[in-house]
Amino acid sequence: MGQERFADVVERFTGEGAGEPSPETVKRWQEELERGFRRLQNFHGLLTNPVEPRTGQTPRVEVYKRNKSRLYRYESSRRHRTPVLFVPNLGISRPYIFDLLPGGSFVEHMTRQGFDFYMLDWGVFGPEDNDLTVEDCVTKILPRMARRVLETSGTDELSVLGYCMGAPISASFVATHPEIPVKNFVNMAGPIDFTKVGLFGLWLGKEYFNVDRFVDTLGSVPADLVKAGFKLLKPTMDLSTNLNLWWNLWNDKYVEGFQALSKWANEYVAFPGEFFRHWVRDFYQDNRLHRGELVMGGRPVKLERITCPIFVVGAKEDYIAPPACVQALIDAVGSSDKQYVELPGGHISLIAGRGAAVHCWPKVSGWLGARS
Amino acid sequence: MADAPGPNQLFEQWRKQLEEGAQAWARLVTPPAPAAPPDPTAFWRPVLDQGVQTWAKLFAQTPATPELVTQWKQFLDQWIEAWSKVLGQTMGTEQFAKMMGQSLDQFLVAQGPLKRAADQQVESALQALNLPSRSQVTAVAKQIVELEERIERLEETITAALRRLGDKGPR
Repeated sequence: MGQERFADVVERFTGEGAGEPSPETVKRWQEELERGFRRLQNFHGLLTNPVEPRTGQTPRVEVYKRNKSRLYRYESSRRHRTPVLFVPNLGISRPYIFDLLPGGSFVEHMTRQGFDFYMLDWGVFGPEDNDLTVEDCVTKILPRMARRVLETSGTDELSVLGYCMGAPISASFVATHPEIPVKNFVNMAGPIDFTKVGLFGLWLGKEYFNVDRFVDTLGSVPADLVKAGFKLLKPTMDLSTNLNLWWNLWNDKYVEGFQALSKWANEYVAFPGEFFRHWVRDFYQDNRLHRGELVMGGRPVKLERITCPIFVVGAKEDYIAPPACVQALIDAVGSSDKQYVELPGGHISLIAGRGAAVHCWPKVSGWLGARS
Repeated sequence: MADAPGPNQLFEQWRKQLEEGAQAWARLVTPPAPAAPPDPTAFWRPVLDQGVQTWAKLFAQTPATPELVTQWKQFLDQWIEAWSKVLGQTMGTEQFAKMMGQSLDQFLVAQGPLKRAADQQVESALQALNLPSRSQVTAVAKQIVELEERIERLEETITAALRRLGDKGPR
């Protein structure tokens, strides 16, 4: 049946029955051919003359560094009094995704809204950092970064904004450091209840994953293994990315964005060994943060001790930190001013890209602006 | 032309096919496993045939406009999404997690002695060439990190002491 139909089609296109196409159809075919030509041109350009995308263009100064970690302050009109300390994930990827390209940058949005914006870049750790633990991040690095924010901004309060893994780490910091005046806390796609964390939760379960053997053998988690883990989480991602590239290849703006995003998406960062052991065992396997069983720097980490206003943002299609595990912070904290929103998008598109500029950034800046 | 199915209707049909395919795949990988190994080709053949027929129908009944290309792209998107769902369901099973854990364990069992042997070889070679080995360089870097931490703590102590002195100073 299929063959007959295809034969009919050939006949219709080429034979006498094809008839004269309407001027509208001819015009659209011409447009499609032009797009096809531009696709070929851009494809040739991508192959023969790949341009290094200029990411992270928002002006900034380094205000503090400790070992590999850096604290950057971004230029802004500083209309809001309370500065914002942005804490991204440690390892996995580089933080320039938050300042990818002009017009598509979370950092640029926040500075345009008048926030005195600071970003922590954890850095790329080497074998000499394999002893670094989550506890070191919470009790040594973050308090220093927060103090430096207060000193350089000349204020007596700050807001903390945690993204992905940066959210549970900074929540642990806020809960254990009441002496540091955190005015507001924002959790963007940061897992809190690790029993609801999806595929990674299953794969890293105690029954199947021996984290001690893993770290003792490899010392750290190499970038290639991090990459393999994330690729496995969504095996069709590369296929759909390339299909979308082909489809939009005629669009120079899209190609520019694609190159920048592709550069970021293929630059994976290793985990220090002890950090990974601590992270998997205490957070993924034992869910000790949510159960209130963590102790850091001799202080118990109790999320109910967080009493400042809280804003939690989950992404509907997030398969790394599904909304349920993010939302759990709302019930765990002792704050009375708390709000949860679930926005369209995935783990990355929640905070980067065109959708983020429409759905997420204005919500975060609006909520913070009213409290800063 | 009047009774030609619209693109939405066709997509609905494809979506249904693909969803049914996804569910069938999930059934195939859910325990208890069937005695005979699943034959993906046999399973997908009717779906593929239907897909080809649907496309043939579409080409035969709709005018040859660039919208066909758009529809083809949408079809591919749905196809990939369906496969993504199938793979997601498969990878979300206990069996898959167990299999992955076992593969990783095997890799580590093999990797451990290999890595140790390779490290030793490299260390000996560098020692013979009178060059610092990786572990020696790492040890030096670690010492620098520790030194930096000590200086930082010292700075913090001095700053705190100065602040206390300032607080106690003449008013």
